[in-house]
Amino acid sequence: MTLPPLAYHALVGFVVLNVVIGMVTYVTLLERKFAARMQSRIGPYYVGPHGLLQPIADAIKLMLKEDVVPTTADRWVYNLAPIVFLVPCVLIFATLPFAPGLGVADLNIGVLFFLAVSSLEIVGLFMGGWGSNNKYALLSAMRAVNQIISYDLPFVFAAFVPVVLAGSLQMSAIVAAQQGVWLGFVPKWFVVYPVIGQLAFVAFLVATLAAENRVPFDILEAESELVAGFRVEYSGMKFALIQLGEYAHMIGTSFLAALLFLGGWLGPGSEHALVGALWFLLKAMLVFLVVTWVRWSFVRIRVDQILAISWKLLLPASIVLLLATAFWVAARGGDGV
Amino acid sequence: MTETLGFWVAAVVLVAASLAVVLTPNLFHAVLWLAAALVATGGVFLLLDSPFLFGVQLLLYAGGVVTIVVFAIMLTERLVGESIRQTSRFVFNGAVLAAAVFVGILGFLLQAGAVTRPAAVGDQLGDLGRALVGPFAAPLQLLGVLLVIALLGALYFARAED
Repeated sequence: MTLPPLAYHALVGFVVLNVVIGMVTYVTLLERKFAARMQSRIGPYYVGPHGLLQPIADAIKLMLKEDVVPTTADRWVYNLAPIVFLVPCVLIFATLPFAPGLGVADLNIGVLFFLAVSSLEIVGLFMGGWGSNNKYALLSAMRAVNQIISYDLPFVFAAFVPVVLAGSLQMSAIVAAQQGVWLGFVPKWFVVYPVIGQLAFVAFLVATLAAENRVPFDILEAESELVAGFRVEYSGMKFALIQLGEYAHMIGTSFLAALLFLGGWLGPGSEHALVGALWFLLKAMLVFLVVTWVRWSFVRIRVDQILAISWKLLLPASIVLLLATAFWVAARGGDGV
Repeated sequence: MTETLGFWVAAVVLVAASLAVVLTPNLFHAVLWLAAALVATGGVFLLLDSPFLFGVQLLLYAGGVVTIVVFAIMLTERLVGESIRQTSRFVFNGAVLAAAVFVGILGFLLQAGAVTRPAAVGDQLGDLGRALVGPFAAPLQLLGVLLVIALLGALYFARAED
C-alpha cells in the first residue's frame, strides 16, 4: 500500500517531531548526569532506576503547574512568545537527514535552510523578554539581541567552510563528500582536513556556544544577576516549551556540527541506515557533551569581552578562513574537493 | 491546488501584517508584524520555486534586519523612560498612493495576459553562484562598495560630538 505524498510527508514529519521531542527530554537527563559526574555528585537518582524516569517526572510536573501571567504583561506577545520560540527550534530538524534517505526533506539548500530558520529563534526570545514587562527579562532580551548580532555572522561563515569544501548546500552531498580515507586509515571528515578543517571546527564550536547562549556566553541567562533571563516570568507549560526549544536548538546544532565536520552518518557498517543513524547520533552526542563540558568548566565572561571576541577575532578570522577556503577550492578546479 | 492555497495563505498574511505594521500604535508590535510580513514574503519566494531566495530572505531580513530594528528600539525606548508611540500622519495620502500603485500594477498584469511560469531547469543554485562570480562579479562588488559607503555615512552621523 502506498500513501499519497502529502499524507506520507505528514507521517514522516510527525514521527521525526516525536523522536526529537523524546530525545530532547532525555538529553536533559544526560546533561544533568554528566554535570553531576564532573562535580563528584550522583545526579538525579530517585525517580526510576538510576533516575531514568526523571525527565518524565519533570515534564508531568511542568504540565500540572499553574500558569501565571503577570498583570502588566503585553498579553498577546507574552503568550505567543514560547510558540514563536519553539517552532524554528524544531523546524531545523526538517532538513537533517539522519541516515541516507532517512529524514523529512533533503533540500538542496539544506544548510542555508537550517541557518535561516535557526536565526528566527531570536524573534521568540525578544518577544518573551519584552512581553513579560519585567526589567530582568528585558535586560536579558537586550543582551541576547546584542549577542546574536555579533555571533550570527561568524556562525554562518564557519558553517559555510564545509559547504565550500563539499561544493554543495545539500546535507547528503556534504556527507558524501566526506566519504573515503586518507593514507588508508584517516577518515576524510572535514575536521581532519589540513588546517582549514580544524580552524573552521573551532570557530564553529565557539560560535555555536554563543548562538545557543551557553556558558561562557550565557550573559542573557546569568542566574546570579538576571534570575533566569528572558524566561523569568514564565511558568508551567510555557516555561516547558521554552526549555524544549532551547534544548532542541542545542541538539540540532550538535547534529549540524557532526554532519558538517565529523562525517555525519559515515562509519563502519553505515551502509545500513540504522547503523548510520546510530553513528550520527553518537557523533552529535559527542559534540553535545563537549559543549556541556565547556559549560561546567568555564566561568561567564563579561559583555564587552564577548563582543570583543566576536568583532575583533572571530568575525575577521572566519571571513579570512572562508575566503582562503574558496581560493583553495577554486585553485584545485572548483566544485568541491 | 496546494500551490494556489499556499499562495492565498501567504498573500493574506502578507497584506494583513503589512497593514498592521503601519497602523499599530505600538512600535514594538509594528516590528513583530514586520517580521511576520517578511516571513510571508519568504513563503511567496518558496512558492515561486526559489528556495535559495527564501533562505536568504529569512536569514537576512526576518533574522537579521528585524533583530537590528529591535536592538534600536530597545536602546532608545523603555530603558530610557516613556515609550515612543508610533503615529502615521499621512494615512490618507499613503492609502491613495498605494491604491494608485496597485491600479498601475493591475493594469500592467491585465495587459500582459496569462503567463505561464517556466519550469525550473538544472542546477539553479550552482548557476546563480557561478553568475555572481562570473558575469555579475563587477555589479556585486559595486553593491558591496555602496553598502560600505552607507555604513561609513551612518558612522559619521552617529559619531560623538567633540
